[in-house]
Amino acid sequence: MGHMKEVDKKRSFLSLLFGNLFGGNNKLSILEEEKVQSPFRTVIKTFRSNKIAMTALIIFLLIFLTVLIGPVIKPIDLSFSETSQQNIAPGYDMMAIPKSLNGKLKDIAIGPTFSAGISEDGFLYIWGKTRISDTVDIRNLKLPANTGKIVDIAAGYDHLIMLNDEGKIFGSGSNRQQQITPSYEVEMLTNIKEIEAGYQSSLVLTEDGRSFYFGNTMNSDYNQFHPYQGNLKKVLTTSDAVVGLTNDGQAVYLGTQRNAYSNIPENMGNVIDIATTAATVAAVNDQGQVFIWGNKSTKGEGNPPRTESKIVSIQGGRYHYTAQLENGDIISWGANYYNQADVPKAVKESNIESFYTDFYQNYAVTHTGEVLTWGLKGYLFGTDDLGRDIFTRLLNGGRMSITIGAVAVIIATFIGIIIGGISGYFGGKIDMVLQRVTEMVNSLPFLPFAMILSALIGNNMTSSQRTYLIMIILGLLSWPSLSRLVRAQVLSIREQEYVVAAKSLGIKQMGIVFKHILPNVISVIIVSATLSFASSMLTEATLSYLGFGVQAPQPTWGNMLYGANNSIVIQNFWWRWVYASILLGICVICINLVGDGLRDAIDPKSQER
Amino acid sequence: MAKYISKRILYMIFIFFIMSLLLFFLYNLIPGDPARAELEGVKTKITPEEYQYRYEQARIRMGLDDPLIIRYAKWLGGTLKLDFGMSQVYKQPVATVIKQPMKNTIFINIFAVGLALAITIPLGIYCAVKRNSLFDKLIQVLTIVGYSLPTFIISLLFIFAFAVKLEWFPVSGMATPNFTGSSLEVFKDKLWYLALPLGVMTIGSLGGLTRYIRAAMSDALSMDYIKTARAKGLTEKVVIFSHAWRNALLPIITLLIGWLISVFSGSLVVESMFNLNGMGKFYINALTSQDYNVALAIQLFYIVIALLGNLITDLSYGLVDPRVRVNK
Repeated sequence: MGHMKEVDKKRSFLSLLFGNLFGGNNKLSILEEEKVQSPFRTVIKTFRSNKIAMTALIIFLLIFLTVLIGPVIKPIDLSFSETSQQNIAPGYDMMAIPKSLNGKLKDIAIGPTFSAGISEDGFLYIWGKTRISDTVDIRNLKLPANTGKIVDIAAGYDHLIMLNDEGKIFGSGSNRQQQITPSYEVEMLTNIKEIEAGYQSSLVLTEDGRSFYFGNTMNSDYNQFHPYQGNLKKVLTTSDAVVGLTNDGQAVYLGTQRNAYSNIPENMGNVIDIATTAATVAAVNDQGQVFIWGNKSTKGEGNPPRTESKIVSIQGGRYHYTAQLENGDIISWGANYYNQADVPKAVKESNIESFYTDFYQNYAVTHTGEVLTWGLKGYLFGTDDLGRDIFTRLLNGGRMSITIGAVAVIIATFIGIIIGGISGYFGGKIDMVLQRVTEMVNSLPFLPFAMILSALIGNNMTSSQRTYLIMIILGLLSWPSLSRLVRAQVLSIREQEYVVAAKSLGIKQMGIVFKHILPNVISVIIVSATLSFASSMLTEATLSYLGFGVQAPQPTWGNMLYGANNSIVIQNFWWRWVYASILLGICVICINLVGDGLRDAIDPKSQER
Repeated sequence: MAKYISKRILYMIFIFFIMSLLLFFLYNLIPGDPARAELEGVKTKITPEEYQYRYEQARIRMGLDDPLIIRYAKWLGGTLKLDFGMSQVYKQPVATVIKQPMKNTIFINIFAVGLALAITIPLGIYCAVKRNSLFDKLIQVLTIVGYSLPTFIISLLFIFAFAVKLEWFPVSGMATPNFTGSSLEVFKDKLWYLALPLGVMTIGSLGGLTRYIRAAMSDALSMDYIKTARAKGLTEKVVIFSHAWRNALLPIITLLIGWLISVFSGSLVVESMFNLNGMGKFYINALTSQDYNVALAIQLFYIVIALLGNLITDLSYGLVDPRVRVNK
């Protein structure tokens, strides 16, 4: 019984909520009298009882609030672009390490969007976004049946190489620069100790301290006859160079050029570990001191923080470093736009045995074998062709789209009211002239004319100037319909008694038009403005989509779809057009539904039709 | 009536002049020197003195040093003789390069309009007759969705569904390259390529038209003469088609004529989406490649079409409905 009551109570609460939200359907008995209401209240009541329009209003308000608040939480960096993150599918699985690896993990190799791990028993696991391009997928690897145990892996920019226990190398991913096809020399080696992969390049290090390179020889500065052959303990790559650590504790440059990398700091002492980012090299000596050189960016990877304990090992991501201290603590510094340098609390509190860092991802293995991660997990709505997060662009673009629509409508309404009001009230010659002007603007083919205006006037404007231009063009071209409406309304109202009364009281004509007549046509204006808000948003989207509206990098829902009309994007990178289309569609549909609902509420006769 | 028509035509010409003046003025705001652009090709082959001489000759020939109003008069004179100047991209007279796209656009639009009318008229009538039924409400919501979605989103959806997933139709283009066959086969091939764009254009215009026809028909059905007709015991078919529909046709026809003509600029997005060689695509290309002679010519064409559309709409009020006296 008690349970039943509970259900009843819940239902009554829900009906109460919806009743209040949508306006109850209380039927009056014959004897009761309806309360006298102001027309405005009647309109609100009728509108609230219109379920479709109310739902549409709520959805629109939700979208509006999201795009209003969203950009504050997720601000946009207009100059941002990241080549390693282009066209990534939606999803947060970049660091979703398989559970079966827990406790028996041997090594992790990290690529820009994917990772690979090997277990103690030599099995390979691949996770994350493995599709490099529309044809290359890291997961599509064909390992021969007799592969055996895999003992080492390395991930580069767009490829993955593996080493088995017989010293053979296998590869997967892009092979455009032969980065997964070992040279004959490398094929013949039997004593490979370690492998390393970089941007379009792969390296192997042998037991006797020699290094071999394959892949794009033009991109990376590597000298195969460098003087440290036979003396190397570790080799690493930046995006365009190769560095090494020798057995006697020296960080060395393995190329021929003299550049920022070869300009190695002096008096580093005995170097125990080296690491690289895309453009810098770091070395740690046995005193725990960190030296960083190369082409340091402003992202902060060149400024290691002070630590209370010695740094004992270091690894580099694309623009950040992660290091372990002697007391076991993990610290990170450098670029942090994917939170890749924010070491989580769980990592600080646990006992970390080993850690792996590359690109934007970090993995830390605790002494119990649990793997903790931080950094770039993935993207809610994927990324576009410049590696920008579509979700952030949708939030910021939505604000821009709605702002443009709103400003255009305000301009149009302002002009429409003034011209329609004057023309309707005064009539005669003024009306004739204004009517002809209205007709002229109305007869212009809207879209082509907006395009030619935007192309001719906006020829050498900056991106933000162009945005204002679009608002003004849309506003200046879309007022005629409203002005006609206002004129017709004013014409019918100006003969009514209260206007005559106002006139006889000697009120100024402008005062009569804007103070006595206009408030009575305001409902028509609101409906018309709502509908024209929707059409302004649509026109802006169409203009931007065609390339004549708001220009990239400033996003709007329309220009985010620019360049989406080829079958490759439509099929393979569906997230680049689906989300923006859905949002724009829903938003405009909702505004139109609200406008329709308002019209029905204001003019009950239109419902009967 | 004749006085009214001549007044309207005079007014039309007046507006055309104002618009062309405005466009020409905007066009002249763009930095650039056509005389230098013309000599760009031979610049390295001739001596500086000869270059200077030719350059001055070209400026005089093009009349670049004349005041703006004289240049406008010259340009307008040419325009009225259908001489729009040279296309900078195609190196041919604008009037020549524009012929094929114009034909294509007219072809596409006639088909799309036909299709749209064939669907919307029965649908609108049915909705008005079965007003407030479930079907009618469904159509009402669908038509709002229809006119709320921009053409390019409908195109993307169509391409995704019918060209990429189902592979029924080609993604873009107007005909199979190097296609040979009888003229019927060529026509079939063209239709196969145009199926998707035509579908999109039809769907795009369904929303607004259906609503308009439904409203007009509803108005007609609520009239007293319908009650009279029903009271006389006429069959519902006769009531709907000869009493209501004939009267509903009046506002619809006037809308249709205006719409038929404005539809030329409507296929702009579809043409660019499906890479069809039509006026709209041509216009976009001209604007992006800064071939402003072509862009101006097409824009003027659009304006003329729009003005004609307005004129015909106004006149048809009087022609279709004798109750309306236009010269009042």
